[in-house]
Amino acid sequence: MDIFGSFALILAFLAAVYAFAAGIAGAITRRPLLTRSARHAGIAVFGLVTLAVASLEYFFFIDNFSMAYVAAHSNRALPAFYKFAALWAGQEGSLLFWSWLLSTYVFLALFVNRNKHPELMPYAGVVMAGVEIFFLTLNNFVASPFGVLGGPDASGTLRLAALGDGHGLNPLLQYPEMVIHPPMLYLGYTGFTIPFAFALAALLGRYPGEKWIHITRRWTMIAWCFQSIGILLGAHWAYAVLGWGGYWAWDPVENASLLPWITGTAFLHSVMMQEKRGMLKVWNVWLVFTTFMLCILGTLLTRSGVISSVHAFAQSSIGNWFVGFLALAFIVCFWSYWLNRDYLRSDNALDSLVSRESSFLFNNLILLAACFAVLWGTLFPVLSEWVVGNKISVGPPFFNKVNVPIALFLLLLTGVGPLLAWRKTSFDALRRNFAWPVIIGVLSGIVAFIFGFREIYSLICLILCVFVTLSIASEFYRGARVIAARDGSNILTAIGDLTMRNTRRYGGYIVHFGMVLIFIGIAGSAFNKDVQMEMAPGQSLAIGPYTILCQNFDRVANNNFESERATLEIFRNGRSEMMLYPERRFFLASEVTETMVAVQSKPLHDLYVVYAGRSPETGKPVIHAYLNPLVKWIWFGGIVVVLGTGLALLPNRRAALVLKPATEQSWGDAVAKGASPIGAVARSSDGHD
Amino acid sequence: MTKARVRILPILCMGIASFCLATAVLGYVLAARAQETQRAKTLGQKLLCVCGCNQILTACNHVGCTYSHGMLKELDDRVARNEPDDLTIQAFVQEYGSTVLAAPPTTGFNRAAWIMPIVVPLIALYLFFELIRRWRQRAAIATASGPAVSAELLARAQREAGKDDDEQR
Repeated sequence: MDIFGSFALILAFLAAVYAFAAGIAGAITRRPLLTRSARHAGIAVFGLVTLAVASLEYFFFIDNFSMAYVAAHSNRALPAFYKFAALWAGQEGSLLFWSWLLSTYVFLALFVNRNKHPELMPYAGVVMAGVEIFFLTLNNFVASPFGVLGGPDASGTLRLAALGDGHGLNPLLQYPEMVIHPPMLYLGYTGFTIPFAFALAALLGRYPGEKWIHITRRWTMIAWCFQSIGILLGAHWAYAVLGWGGYWAWDPVENASLLPWITGTAFLHSVMMQEKRGMLKVWNVWLVFTTFMLCILGTLLTRSGVISSVHAFAQSSIGNWFVGFLALAFIVCFWSYWLNRDYLRSDNALDSLVSRESSFLFNNLILLAACFAVLWGTLFPVLSEWVVGNKISVGPPFFNKVNVPIALFLLLLTGVGPLLAWRKTSFDALRRNFAWPVIIGVLSGIVAFIFGFREIYSLICLILCVFVTLSIASEFYRGARVIAARDGSNILTAIGDLTMRNTRRYGGYIVHFGMVLIFIGIAGSAFNKDVQMEMAPGQSLAIGPYTILCQNFDRVANNNFESERATLEIFRNGRSEMMLYPERRFFLASEVTETMVAVQSKPLHDLYVVYAGRSPETGKPVIHAYLNPLVKWIWFGGIVVVLGTGLALLPNRRAALVLKPATEQSWGDAVAKGASPIGAVARSSDGHD
Repeated sequence: MTKARVRILPILCMGIASFCLATAVLGYVLAARAQETQRAKTLGQKLLCVCGCNQILTACNHVGCTYSHGMLKELDDRVARNEPDDLTIQAFVQEYGSTVLAAPPTTGFNRAAWIMPIVVPLIALYLFFELIRRWRQRAAIATASGPAVSAELLARAQREAGKDDDEQR
């Protein structure tokens, strides 16, 4: 069976090589048969990698501990749920999983576009096959998940050695979110390959117009959405499992996931400039290239051991392969750009500094500044060691100091951008659109200040959140008011109607609102409180409005772990409210101890309790309690972001009637009577800003 | 004033004074303890645990971490001795190396860590305005060299643009 998996992987590699070579030959000779066979080979890669993945999963479920990878990441007592997730617990399996997700995307892209874009698809197929070749090379020749335990005996015959039981899954990964978080993140990372492939293909084939942007818009949004979910699930996992009371530690691996997300966000905004005005063509192409390369860089940082992180895989030489691939990708991108740069000339120029275009440009600039700051801080320890031979640490204080002002500026632009018109915004329009959101935002800041809200960044964040929320609400209200007045419907129905007529625009606003909620949640961290205390049964500690009474400590055991558990009764204002059970688990197979945090989450704050072990001096159990305000808003904001993205992915509902019957007239009549044809087009077109 | 009142008054005054004194002393001790704890927390946030977890010293909560407990105790001791912040940080750097600092120091090459995130966006901002200037120049040249447009048509186009602007907002 191990041979079956290896064989499927080798065949997948050969099929990818064929798809690459036949695709190039097809694109050069323009022979449809070659192009079609390259496409079929690309589809076959998906089938073959699926077989390899199924084969490895099978080994996990039958506890085949002669397989090195299974023995290292599973054991008999491991619940089936985690046996399934053990596929991506280590370097080799996660690379195979990566290849599988990539091949799934490639399969879907090839299948969906099988009868479309005959000029573009051969090139795109070649680029996608090229990326697949790299990952399948790693799967086959560098980090194969199908290695077996044992070795050749004296006669040269291979003797398998099976362990009685495996080493088990890393306890930190034995958490439901770990079953979902890596696939979501990988779906984001691998998903950006599709827009990259189409952008490079359009450049290589000098494909006319903005077609590649239209083709890849949904793919990019899907990848971005998965990346967002992956990042938030990772943050929630860190919060609920690592037990340090926070959700984001600016760890290099966390940063690695954030980098392509930032450039992907910039791309999703700047494509509108190209679609609407034919501007920023070079910028967009390079944003996609950069996003893809940052995905590869992130993988390099996670897997090479270049930068130390609790999340990283073990140190290995695999990093050299990623460096080589990254260099090759950059050379190909730059060479393609240089040869075809005349094809990327802008059709239009900027009319005014106060316009939607300039706000998008500025938004891109700020996003790239944030991306640079995160990348610089992440790589600075390596740079410092390389330049002055002295390794230093770059931790949360650096990232917070540098990125918080940038993030607040971005939040401001989130509110400003939608209120500006394309091309030029008049002073009157500015005053009309901004007056109320600004006044109410500032007033809420003053009220918050009077009530003791003195932390400066949190105060600015609060003002901006109110401003952005009102600017989004006013966009919905103004549009809906017109529809309600025309159709005689109520305002809520009109809002629904408005949203469904331009899902991209209003879905985007919902995403912005989700980001506002996330910012509110993050701003709450300025008011975190924590207390640590050695507690014997009967003792209590106070934090915020809560009193935590320690009732007792007991032991719980099963086949997988032994646990020491605290039973804590929580009183609020003197009244018993709930019981919490923080634990310390000793995992038998891996012989590792981990904490299991107990969290009581409420909209205004989380009571977060950790059983931190026994004091080395007194032997008494130590309880560490945190009161973290507004954390729930982050997770809720994440859900809103996902819903907004989902809405933006839906096709627009066609407007049944734009003009009232009494005033309805044909375009020809309108032009003849001197009415504006531009206005008519604007009303009936699928706006996408 | 009766005799009894005269006797009670000094006792009452002494009692109140003692209570105030005791409260002040207790308040001072508690405030000093709180201040120490707060100072230790603030200092702890400038340091990383050296166990390899990359976490702020006061946040390192790893079960079985052999470093954080000792480091925190040392920090508390130094704060209790009222040692200046700089000296405490320096002592930790000497003991654990420069990787114990949570953020790069603002000396030597490490200054670059702080400067670059400011300089690069400023350069980008300059390029942004330069790009806009060029675009506007190009637009002006294109308009100047474009076909002749009558004043009437131009006025109408401007009206249309205004309408378009309002509709799209």
